Amino acid sequence: MVLHSLSAAPGSNAYRDCLQLLGKGDALLLLADGVYAALADTQAYLDILNSGAELYLLQPDAAAAGILNDTGERITPVDFDAFAELTERFVKQQAWY
Amino acid sequence: MAKKSLLVIVRHSPYGSSLARSSLEVALTAATYEQTVGVLFMGDGVLHLLSDQDSSHIGARNIARLIASFPLYDLETLYVDGAARSRHGLESMPLPDNIRSVDSNAMQQLFCDYDHLLGF
Repeated sequence: MVLHSLSAAPGSNAYRDCLQLLGKGDALLLLADGVYAALADTQAYLDILNSGAELYLLQPDAAAAGILNDTGERITPVDFDAFAELTERFVKQQAWY
Repeated sequence: MAKKSLLVIVRHSPYGSSLARSSLEVALTAATYEQTVGVLFMGDGVLHLLSDQDSSHIGARNIARLIASFPLYDLETLYVDGAARSRHGLESMPLPDNIRSVDSNAMQQLFCDYDHLLGF
């Protein structure tokens, strides 16, 4: 049960490596350039959705990118407090960058 | 000191940045302190395992030799991402004896089994 954080865009090696390790029971937080994987109707979003992991999106970064109104329905926007709570709930974390 | 198992995840190519050396030094340090350490080479990290590395002309230490020295530090649990090996055309290249090739499921299992993950 791992909290994965992804900070690179969907075309990156980091995205691909992350996807390979994502599974049920895990959570994925998208931040920095990683937020673009939250765009609805993209293969990147469908692939993280199909992993079965819980999906979270760092709201300030998504707002900066201008995608807050275009994200998939199954991804939950979080602020920094909720981000901190995620790190409490998951003992193990892996940063993909 | 309580023993915790540590999985070091190496995902970047060996000479492009200082990440590679840092990750391997962390693994060696933990092993020196008799912690249970595994190293997973995944994605571009599999390029660490090329055998003919000669870094003498770029002023960097030879990463392949560093990895070859791991058994001296009782660091003998190494894994390589099999799919990434074939993506890089390295399937036919012989692997050192102490490295096990793993698929996605096996890597997910490693993430479960180790107490701590340290990604580079």
